[in-house]
Amino acid sequence: MPQLDTSTFASQIFWLIVVFGALYYVLSRHALPRVASILQTRQERIAADLNQAQQLRLEAEQAMARYDEVIGAAQADAHAIAQATQAKLQAETAERLAALDARLATQVSEAEARIAAAKTAALQDLEEAAVTAAQAATERLAGLKVTKKDAQAALQAVTREAA
Amino acid sequence: MATGEEAAAHAEGHSPLEQFEIHPLIKIEEQLWGWDLSFTNSSLWMVIAAVCVCLLVWQGTRERSLVPGRLQSLVELLYNFVADLLDSNVGHEGKKYFPFFFTLFTFILFGNMLGMIPGSFTFTSHIIVTFSMAIFVVTAVTMIGIWKHGWHFFSFFAPKGCPPAVMPLLVPIEILSYLIRPISLSVRLFVNMMAGHIMLKTFAGFIVALSTFYVLPAIAPLALTVALSGLEFAIAFLQAYVFTVLSSIYLNEALHLH
Repeated sequence: MPQLDTSTFASQIFWLIVVFGALYYVLSRHALPRVASILQTRQERIAADLNQAQQLRLEAEQAMARYDEVIGAAQADAHAIAQATQAKLQAETAERLAALDARLATQVSEAEARIAAAKTAALQDLEEAAVTAAQAATERLAGLKVTKKDAQAALQAVTREAA
Repeated sequence: MATGEEAAAHAEGHSPLEQFEIHPLIKIEEQLWGWDLSFTNSSLWMVIAAVCVCLLVWQGTRERSLVPGRLQSLVELLYNFVADLLDSNVGHEGKKYFPFFFTLFTFILFGNMLGMIPGSFTFTSHIIVTFSMAIFVVTAVTMIGIWKHGWHFFSFFAPKGCPPAVMPLLVPIEILSYLIRPISLSVRLFVNMMAGHIMLKTFAGFIVALSTFYVLPAIAPLALTVALSGLEFAIAFLQAYVFTVLSSIYLNEALHLH
């Protein structure tokens, strides 16, 4: 069995040490740091990207909040304007109604005054007519000439009695 | 096609052990301190393995791309594989020893894998190579343990919570099992490699021997050789992994004492 040939041992051990040592030196000094730096660069890049994504998301959330705020303010404004307009309209309507009421009331009272005046006038006319009629009747029936004043007094007395 | 007898003789001439023979490529006549340090086929394949590892890592890290290509992925996979192995077995303190474990793993892995090339030489199939690596690992780990814990390191051989009555029995067993580590570690790798290669060679020899008489029956050893080759590739990886894992477990025990 060649494995037990001790004459080759020295050479095998010697070259193993040389080759393994050289490989260890090259790997630990040059090759592995390269791999490590590549991996680290990637790790950092990923971390930075994640960070940036987080940042952007935060910004987007802030923008969204601002948007909500603005929309809310606009809605509140609109609501306030609508309410103010409604109140103004209601006030105007109430004012106009009041004015109309007042005008109607004056017209009614004026009309009532006119009616009252017309009635007084009519009654005056009626009295005069009654006095004239009483004068004429007294003259015709009794042949008495009654003055207008007496007739008026008499008529008034009769009217008062009747009342 | 040679005649049957010739081929059989030819096949017989190749012992399955012949592939493990070491012959010098560059004879160093001048013996250093009485040792023959010739550059042999074993040395050549060690150099090839080391060069392959360096080339792979070098070529794989040339582009330094953020999104790795095929070769870079392979290098990163290898790197993370060893790093994770060390991290899960030793923890944070193991980071210092990462270059050594990476060298150990890739050197054995490439030694085993290159050995699968027909006509190549598997330097990990020699006990002296695996034993040298194992004794280095165990010695280094022991020294790290002593350096870190001082005399307290030897409490390693007297497990805590053990009744004093069994100590006289237990401590020698613990010491023995500790001393046997370099042997078990090296023999495991060496025997796996050697047995696999002998098996491959033997069944491949059957193909030649059988096909000299009838071609058809030779299909059976051929199929077996193909299947065994697949198995051997798996073993080549697995044994490199096992060697590295056990070394890391030894390191962990030395650093944390059970």
